[in-house]
Amino acid sequence: MDDQNTSRSHALGTKVHRTALRAYARSIDGERTAGAGQSLLSIRDLDVRFRLRGQTLHALRGISLDIYPNETLAIVGESGAGKSVLMKNLIGLLDKNGWVNGGSIIFDGIDLAKLKRERDWSGIRGKRIAMVMQDPMTSLNPLKTVGWQIREALRYNQNMHGKEADNRALELLRDVGISEPERRYRQYPHEFSGGMRQRVVIAIALACGPRVLICDEPTTALDVTIQAQILQLINSLKDKYALTLIYITHDLGVVANVADRIAVMYAGDVVELGSCDEVFFDPRHPYTWALLSSLPQLGTRKQDLYTIEGTPPNLFHPIRGDAFAPRNPHPLEIDFLHRPPYFSVSPTHKARTWLLDPRAPQVEPPEAIRNIRELTRMG
Amino acid sequence: MLVYIGKRLLRSLISLFIIIVVVFCLLRMMPIEGYFPSFDKMTPLQVENGLRKMGLLDPVPVQLFNFFKQLLRGDLGTSMRYRQNYSITKIIANKAPFSIRFGMIAVGISIPLGLGLGVLMARKKGGLWDKFGTVYIVIMQAVPAALYYLFLQLYGTQALNISLLYNPDKLETMILPLISLALPSVAYYAMWMRRYAVDESNKDYIKLARAKGVPGAVIWFRHVFRNAVVPIVQLIPNSLLLTLAGSIYVESLYSIPGMGGLMVDVIKRQDNTMVQALVIVFAVLTIVGLLLGDIFMALVDPRISLTRKAEAR
Repeated sequence: MDDQNTSRSHALGTKVHRTALRAYARSIDGERTAGAGQSLLSIRDLDVRFRLRGQTLHALRGISLDIYPNETLAIVGESGAGKSVLMKNLIGLLDKNGWVNGGSIIFDGIDLAKLKRERDWSGIRGKRIAMVMQDPMTSLNPLKTVGWQIREALRYNQNMHGKEADNRALELLRDVGISEPERRYRQYPHEFSGGMRQRVVIAIALACGPRVLICDEPTTALDVTIQAQILQLINSLKDKYALTLIYITHDLGVVANVADRIAVMYAGDVVELGSCDEVFFDPRHPYTWALLSSLPQLGTRKQDLYTIEGTPPNLFHPIRGDAFAPRNPHPLEIDFLHRPPYFSVSPTHKARTWLLDPRAPQVEPPEAIRNIRELTRMG
Repeated sequence: MLVYIGKRLLRSLISLFIIIVVVFCLLRMMPIEGYFPSFDKMTPLQVENGLRKMGLLDPVPVQLFNFFKQLLRGDLGTSMRYRQNYSITKIIANKAPFSIRFGMIAVGISIPLGLGLGVLMARKKGGLWDKFGTVYIVIMQAVPAALYYLFLQLYGTQALNISLLYNPDKLETMILPLISLALPSVAYYAMWMRRYAVDESNKDYIKLARAKGVPGAVIWFRHVFRNAVVPIVQLIPNSLLLTLAGSIYVESLYSIPGMGGLMVDVIKRQDNTMVQALVIVFAVLTIVGLLLGDIFMALVDPRISLTRKAEAR
C-alpha cells in the first residue's frame, strides 16, 4: 500500500494527506456506523427537484455523503450529473425553481436542507461554508477595488472594519501569493490576470473564515500552467486555515492531484465513493471504468480517445434500475429493473452496482484502465 | 483622468466646429427671402443693399470668419422674419426658462422614480410590480402621447379644479404639465433600468457576493444597482440639457411660452438666421451632453479611465 502511494505521488506529483485518510478510514461508509458523529457535513438521502417549463427535473436522486473534517473530497462526474446542484444546496444558493424534496444536510447540528429564508443562511453561508467559483474573470465586481471586495467579506462575516479590515485584507492577499499587496489592494479586477483574479476570489472566500471551502471547478477557466499553481495554493492554504475542501470537477487530473476521497456522480446519484487510490486503481462501477477509460493520458498514439457512448439519461423522466445501464457496454438484466444498493468493497469504498452482488457474474474492468498504475508509474 | 477629459473635449470641439461650418454653409444656400421680413415689397436694389449691409455678399470664408467672431462674443445674430431685428439670444432667453423649469423638474422626478421602479421590477422579476410596470411601459411606448396628454388635461384640471392652461402665478397649474412630461420618461428609465439590473443580477460576481454572505438588500443596492446604473448615467446629462428644447405638445396644450415648437415655427417662416442659430444651440447642447455623459461614466466606471480602448461591455 505504502509503495503504491509513493509511486503514485511520485508519478502524479501529488501528496496524499494520510492523516485525513486515517481519520475517515475509521468512520467511512458512515451510514450510521461507528464514526457518524465525526463527520462535519452529513448529507442523507438528499432529493432535489426543479420545475422547468412545466416539467419536473429530478436533479438529485437521494444522495448520501459524509464529509469529514480536514479532508479533501472531490466530486467528479460529467455535466448535468448534479455536482453543482449538490454544492448549491450546501450554501443555500439553489435556483429559485428548485426545491429540496426530501433528505437532510446536517452541519453543526443544523439541517441546511430545512433552511428556507435568506436570513437563516446568514452566519452559515460564507462564514462557515464558502465557495470559489469557476470563472475568475466574471466572479469579481468590475467596479469595485479588489481591497473593497475582500473587506466586504470581512465586514459581513468577521465584523471587521476600518484599519483592522485593511490589514487583514492585505494579509490575505499576501497569503494567496499576490505580490505588492499594498498596490494591488487598490486596483480593480480588470488590472489582474485570470490566475491573479482567482487568487483574489480565494482570498475573499478565506476572508469569510470558513471551515468548509467548496471549489467549483476552480481551474477550468485557467491556463494549464496556472492551474497547477492554484491547486498548490489551495492545498497549502488548507493546512494554514484548517479547511475542509470539496472540489467539484470533471478533470480527473485535478482529482488525482488533490483529493483524499472521490465521489463519482452520475445522473443525480453518487455511484462510487472511495479513497483516491481505490477509485483510481480499484474502480468497481462501470461508469467509473468508462470515466477512467476516457482519460487522455491512457490513449495511445493514432488511436481515437475513448468516449462513452450515448448521452446521460433525461432526468425529466423517472429512472428505472441503474441509470448507467443504457450506456453500459455489458449491462446485466437486473440493471434495467432495479436500482442497485451500495455494496461495500472496503470500509472506505462503496459502489452502487449489481456487479458487486455475490450472485453477479464476474465482469472485469476494461483492459485500458487495469494498468493505470503501471502507466502512472512510467510517468 | 484629466488626459481622458482633455481628449474628449478636443474631439467635441472639432465636431462642433464641423457642425457649425456645415450648418452655416447649408443656410447660405437657402433662398434670400429668408433675410427680409417683407421681401415681396422690395426692389432688387433694396435687396442688394440689404444683403450688402448684412455682409452676405462677401465671399463665404469671410462670412464664416465673421460669424465665428460673432459667436465668440456670444451673439447668435438677429431674427429677420420671426421677430424683426430682434436679438436671437434675447428670444431664447425669454422662452428657455419656461422649458428648462418644466423639463428639469420632470427629469428630476423621473430619474428616481424610473430607476426605482426599474430596480423593483428586476428584483421581483415576474412578480406583481414587474407585471404592473411592464404594462405601464408598454402603454407609454405604444399609445400616442396625444391621447393621454389630452385625457390628463381634460380630466385632470376638472378633478383638481384648476384652470385649463398654465398660469405662471399659480403654482398648482404646473402639476399636470409636469405629470405629462414625467409619465413617458419614467417609463423610459424604468425600462432600461430593469433591463440592466436583470443583466447584472445574473452575473457571477453577484453569486460570489451572495456566497460570501452579503445580505440581499445590500447586494441589490451596492452591486446590482450601482453597476446597472452605469450605462444610464451616460444618458442623464443629455436628457437634462435637452429639456431646453421644450416639448411641443405639452407646451402648446397648456400654452406655456417655452421653446417647444420654436424650431418648427422658424423653419416654416424661413427665418434663415434663426434656424441657423437654433440648430447650433441644440448641437452644442447635444455635444456637451454627450461629453458630460462620457465623463460621468468614466467617473463611475474605473475601467474606462484606465484602459485606453474601452473594454467591450
